[in-house]
Amino acid sequence: MTPLVQAILDGLLVGGVYGVVAVGLSLVFGVLGIVNFAQAEFLMLGMYVAWFAWSFLGLDPMLGAVLALAAGFMLGYVIQRLLVQRVMSSDHVAQIFLTVGLLAVMENGALMIFGPDFRSVQTDAQMISYRLGPFFISAVYLKAFVAAVAISVALWALLNRTWLGRAIRATAQDAPAAQLFGINTRWIYGIAFGLGAALTAFGGGIVLSFAPAYPTIGANYVVLMFTVVVLGGLGSVMGALLGGLLVGIVQSASTLVLPIQLQNLALFVIFIAVLALRPEGLLGKAAK
Amino acid sequence: MSEPLLSVSDVTVRFGGLKALNEVAFTVGEGEVIGLIGPNGAGKTTCFSTLVGLNRPKSGSIRFQGQEMVGSKPHRVARAGMTKTFQNTALFPGMTLYDNVLTAALGHEPLAQARETATRCLRDLHMEEAGDLAVEDMTFPQRALGEVARALATSPKLLLLDEVMAALTPAEMDEVIATILRLRDSHGIAFVVVEHHMKAIMKLSERILVLNFGELIASGTPDEISSNPAVIEAYLGAGHDD
Amino acid sequence: MKRSLLILAVIAIAAILLGLALDPRSYGVRVLCLILMAAALGQAWNIVGGLANQISLGHAAFFGIGAYTSTVLQVQFELTPWIGMPIGAVLAAVAAGAIALPTMRLKGPYFALATLAFGEICRIGAQAMSGVTGGPQGLSVPFYGDSLAMMQFRQPGAYVPLFAALFFLVSAVFAVMSHGRLGYMLRAVRENEEAAEVTGIDTVRIKLTGAIISAACTALVGGLFAQFTFFIDPDTVFSTTEISIRAALIAIVGGVGLLWGPIVGALFVVLVEEFLNSTLSDALPGISPFLFGVALVVIVIARPEGLVSFRHLVTDRFGKKGKEA
Repeated sequence: MTPLVQAILDGLLVGGVYGVVAVGLSLVFGVLGIVNFAQAEFLMLGMYVAWFAWSFLGLDPMLGAVLALAAGFMLGYVIQRLLVQRVMSSDHVAQIFLTVGLLAVMENGALMIFGPDFRSVQTDAQMISYRLGPFFISAVYLKAFVAAVAISVALWALLNRTWLGRAIRATAQDAPAAQLFGINTRWIYGIAFGLGAALTAFGGGIVLSFAPAYPTIGANYVVLMFTVVVLGGLGSVMGALLGGLLVGIVQSASTLVLPIQLQNLALFVIFIAVLALRPEGLLGKAAK
Repeated sequence: MSEPLLSVSDVTVRFGGLKALNEVAFTVGEGEVIGLIGPNGAGKTTCFSTLVGLNRPKSGSIRFQGQEMVGSKPHRVARAGMTKTFQNTALFPGMTLYDNVLTAALGHEPLAQARETATRCLRDLHMEEAGDLAVEDMTFPQRALGEVARALATSPKLLLLDEVMAALTPAEMDEVIATILRLRDSHGIAFVVVEHHMKAIMKLSERILVLNFGELIASGTPDEISSNPAVIEAYLGAGHDD
Repeated sequence: MKRSLLILAVIAIAAILLGLALDPRSYGVRVLCLILMAAALGQAWNIVGGLANQISLGHAAFFGIGAYTSTVLQVQFELTPWIGMPIGAVLAAVAAGAIALPTMRLKGPYFALATLAFGEICRIGAQAMSGVTGGPQGLSVPFYGDSLAMMQFRQPGAYVPLFAALFFLVSAVFAVMSHGRLGYMLRAVRENEEAAEVTGIDTVRIKLTGAIISAACTALVGGLFAQFTFFIDPDTVFSTTEISIRAALIAIVGGVGLLWGPIVGALFVVLVEEFLNSTLSDALPGISPFLFGVALVVIVIARPEGLVSFRHLVTDRFGKKGKEA
C-alpha cells in the first residue's frame, strides 16, 4: 500500500505542474478555437528564460518562472497579432500548419541560438526531502506544486474577478455578442494567446527546478500536454488543472506496474481512447 | 395487400428535451407526389433528415419498400432508393456540377455507367449547360436544381425535395413542377415536396400533409387542406411567413 | 489520367537515366535517391491529406512499421525485402485500419492530434520492444554484398531504379485514385460528409480505404529507406518532425491534393536541405528545419486558402473530361 500512496503523492505534486503547463493550451483553444501545436515550445522557452535568470542573476527557478511568464506573454501576444490572427477564420488545415510551422521555427531556433546542450540548475531544495510518516516528499517538487497552485489561483481570480477575465470569457462564449458589448475581440484574442503562452512558460520555469532544459524538450511534452487538456475537456481551464493532476498520478502509478519506457505509452493510449470516445473530455461539463 | 412504398409510423424525434417530431405517421405510395407544409420550425426538415437516416428517431418505425430503415446509415437508405435534397443546398464545393452528379451515381455504379447517368440526370433537369460550372459560380436556383440532379443520380424510388423552388420565378417554378411530374411519369419516382409557395404545392401535390410543432395536424387533398380550419389556425397563429 | 501516368513514367525513366549518367558513388546520385524517396513519401501522405483532407501528423507510424518489418524479417529469418516490404505494407495497413476506426470521426485538429499520438506510441513501442527491434540503439540491415535478391547494394547509384519505381508506383496509385471512383468519393466526403452519405456514399468505408492505401504506400517507402541507409532506429523512422511533418510539408510546399505537388515539394525540400547541410549546418545545426518552419508559416499566411484549394485545377481538368464522356 505504501508504494502506491507514495506514487500517488509524487504524481499529485508533479501533476500540478502538468496542469499549469497545459492550461495555457486549453485557454488558447477555449478562447480562439485554435489548437496550438507549438504550445509546448513556450515551455522550452520558459525553461531557458529561467535558466539564464538562475545562471546570470542567481535567481531561483521559481522567480525565474515569473520572468518566463512575462516573456511568454509578450512573445505570445506578438505571435497572435502578427500571425495567428490571420488564420482565425481560415480552414483548420491552415491553422494546424501555421502552428506546426511555429513549432519547427521555435524548436530549431532554440537549437541554433542555445545549442544542443542540456542546461540544469542546482538548488538547495534538490537536496532536501521531508518525511511524513512512512512517506517522503521532495522539497523541490513541493515547491513546484505550491507555485503551480499559486498561479492557478491567480488565473482563477483573473478570469472570475476582473473585467479582463469577464471579457475573455465573454469572447470565448460568443465573440460577435462580446463585440456588441464593446469588447475589442481581436485584442482579447491577443491577450488570451499571450496569457496561454505565459502560463506554459511559467510552467517551464517550474519544470526547470527538477529537469534540464534543451531545445527539443517541447516534443517530449506535446502529447502529455494534449492528454491533460483532452482529459479535462479541450477549452476548459479547470478541466486542464484537474487533468494535470490525473495525468501526474496515472504516470506515477504506472511506474509501479509498467517498465519505465512504457510509462508514456499508457498515457498515449488513454489519450487516443478519450479523443475517440469522449472528445468533449472525460471530466466534460462537470469541469466547466 | 401490397405495402405502400414508404410507411412512417409513430416517429418521435427529440433534440435534448425538445420534441422535434411527435408520433408522426403517414404513407407514400409508388409514384405519388405529396406536399409537406407547415410554419417555420414545424419540423419539415427534421422529418426529411430522419427519413434518410441523418437523425435517429427515439421511437417509431420507417418502412421503405417493406424494409425497416430506422438504424440504417444514410448511404444504406440512399441505396435502398430514398434520398433528399438539402434546404440550403449542400453541393460539394470545389467540384463542378457535373462531378457532383457523377459522384452520387458512383455510389451504386461503376465509372463508365455513372458518366451516362450523370449526363442523363442533368439533361432531365435541362441543366446540361451548367454541368461545367463550379458550384461557387452557380446561382442559387441553379444550386437548388443541381441538388435535384444529384439526388436523381442515386436512382431513387422516393425523392424528398426540401424547398428547391425557393428562389425561382413563377415561370421557372412551373417548369420545375412539370419536370417533377414528368420524372414521376417516366421513372415512377415518388416525391415528397416541402415548399413555402402554396400555389406551387397545390398545383403539384395529390395529397398534402401539414406539420405544426412537430405534429401532423392534417392530411388531405389540396382542396381539403386549404379549407381546413386547423391548418389556417396553425399558419395564422404562427404568424404569416411567406 | 493516361496522360498523367505517361508523364509520371517519363519522370521516373528520366531519373533512372540521370542515375546512370552520374557516378554511382557520387553525392549527386544520393541526392537523386532522396528526392525520389521524398516525392514518394509526400505522395503517400497526399492520398489522405490531399484527397480526403485528413491532416495526419502520424505517418511516421507507417513509415517505421514498414522499415522495421522488412529489417526485422531480414535479421531474424534472412527474408528478402522483396517479400518483407509487402508484409510491412500489410502490417501498416492493418495498423492504419486499427487507428482509423476510432479516430476517423474526429475532425481537423482532433484527427491531427490523434495521429500524432499514434506515431509517438509506435516510437515508444519500438524502443520498448528491444527483443525484436533492438530498442533505442536501433537495428542494422545485415550486409550480404551486392545482391538484387536481397535488395542491397554498395553504391547508391544502384538504388535509383528502385526509388524511381517506388516513386512511380505511389504516384500512379494517387493518380488512379484521384481520377477514379475512390477519388470522387474521397473529395465528396471531404467537402460534406452528410451530403455524401445522403447521396449513397459509405463514408466510413471510403475513409478507411484511403487511410489503408496511404499507410501501405508509406510503409513501402520506409522499407526501401532501411535498405538504402542500412540502419534504422526508433527516433529516426518514427520521428514526428522528420517523417510525419516532413511528409506533410513536401505535399504542402508543392500544393496539397495535386499529383504534381509532392514532386515539386520534394525537389524543393531536398535540394534546400542538402544545400544547407553542405554549407551551413556545421555552424548552425537546425537551420534547415528552421527554414522549413518559416516556409510553412509563410505559405499559410500568404495563402491560407491555398492549402485546401486546388479547386480551380480540379474543376478545369475533371469538368472538361466529364463532358466528353
